[in-house]
Amino acid sequence: MPRSILNLGAHLRPLFFCAYLATQLTLLVRAQRSPDFVFGFQMFNASSELKISLSRKVRRRGRSRIVRVQDGAWETKDPSGMRRSFRWQDRIRYSRLAVLDRYVHAAYGLDAQLFRLQAALHDCVMHLPGDDETEALIAEVDTIENGRAGGHVRLQADRP
Amino acid sequence: MNATTGIWRRFFAEERDAYVLGLLRLAFSALLFFNLLRTALEFDRDGFFGDYFHMPMISEAWVPSRAGYQLLLGVQGLASLLAFVGLWPREALLVASSTGLYLLTCDRLQYHNNRYTLLLLGFLLSFMPCDRSFLITRGRFHTLPHGQRIAPTFARRLFQIQVSLVYLGSTSGKLIDADWRSGQVLLMRFAKAPEICAQHGLILPAWMIALLGSAWFASLAAKAAITNELLIAFGVWQPRTRRVALWLGVGFHFWIELTANVELFSWVMAASYFAFVTPEIRERRFEYAPSQTRAAAMARFVALADWCARFERTPLRPSATHSAPFYVTNREGRRATGVLGLSQLAEAIPLLFPLWPLLALYAKFTTKARARPA
Repeated sequence: MPRSILNLGAHLRPLFFCAYLATQLTLLVRAQRSPDFVFGFQMFNASSELKISLSRKVRRRGRSRIVRVQDGAWETKDPSGMRRSFRWQDRIRYSRLAVLDRYVHAAYGLDAQLFRLQAALHDCVMHLPGDDETEALIAEVDTIENGRAGGHVRLQADRP
Repeated sequence: MNATTGIWRRFFAEERDAYVLGLLRLAFSALLFFNLLRTALEFDRDGFFGDYFHMPMISEAWVPSRAGYQLLLGVQGLASLLAFVGLWPREALLVASSTGLYLLTCDRLQYHNNRYTLLLLGFLLSFMPCDRSFLITRGRFHTLPHGQRIAPTFARRLFQIQVSLVYLGSTSGKLIDADWRSGQVLLMRFAKAPEICAQHGLILPAWMIALLGSAWFASLAAKAAITNELLIAFGVWQPRTRRVALWLGVGFHFWIELTANVELFSWVMAASYFAFVTPEIRERRFEYAPSQTRAAAMARFVALADWCARFERTPLRPSATHSAPFYVTNREGRRATGVLGLSQLAEAIPLLFPLWPLLALYAKFTTKARARPA
């Protein structure tokens, strides 16, 4: 008979069984409170869409201004006067958030994608080496919730 | 109190034939390999996820480096292959699924329910005696003798519970969401179907476009989907309803596979149904007349497609060949031929299973019609 370390002894089986079930049930319950229902088996849970428009808050001549980002790309000059290019999509490859100014399907629902977008803005603004101009990244998000016009959401990530 | 303790003990000490679990291992190790292949292709196309925006569910310090990630993908691939061919299959399954689960926690953006389900079921499978049959490396002797296949199968129950939890998790979200219950979510999906079909060169007829755009149809479909998931989640636990529940599940996932991009989800759930098959084998009989070409061809088909070893195949004695070309005896001992026989065959042969209710219904009505007096 094949021997395996995975043949649990009689006393270990109930322990394993209860530990596994308790973990699964905890994850299932916690998933309901998570914006993207991770570990919750929530399939096909929404037919919502979102459109992200990206802007930068920049400081020029001592004043802060909001500058619209076209196609996710922008240019700045570093302290040495050299031109540097940046692209939203260089850092954000996740397809639901990489597309700008066009409606895309909000997989796992609007809350999930807005939660991820906030993290993406924060991540992007933290990875702009040589861009001394950008103070914050701002996403203006138009939403369509299951076919009905949803709200307009503004998310912002400031550079520390 | 004693009765409860007895049930508890019996539950954990249950020993059954592990033949079908080997088949389950083949299916899941293949699916784990295909899942790995997809990850490797994504890595090749998009690069290492850690080099750009990702959302770890564990501490960033626990996310592997590029080289570490490549190594883990290699380990996962090798482990899936070892599990498939039957070399340290359970340990290999544990390594493949645990590595996958760990990598899933490294980036929330790569989380998908189908991937998580596959990895969880693969993990649970490693605790089952799935190393006693379909051991490809043993060649013709790929299955151990009956005595060595009898083993504790408590983890099979956990696997079954997990399958039910997947459906319950899915359906609970739909029940809570008013837009899902009312059909609004599906209506939006259906409304896009004509456009998507047209992109693939399929022009839907006007009546179908009207149907897909109607609120009542979407509402009906939503309620049917919710009911269906509940029926599967609970129906698989009752021997009387299990077959119907599994058939509904097959149809449900076939429909999902046709209409949505769900990666390996349909295959994972279809494969998981093997865990609900009665473990004992050769409890049915298929008798055939070897001298008749069609009957002999059917016998060959049964030999090839009877993956769960449901049937004992026996040639009819020459003296009995005048009766019928074949007979199928089910587990309850009902011996039948013709359409009824075919339906009894279809209920146990995975490839024919989708046809089972049609054949059973046809057999029921034609048998009644024949029984009616002239």
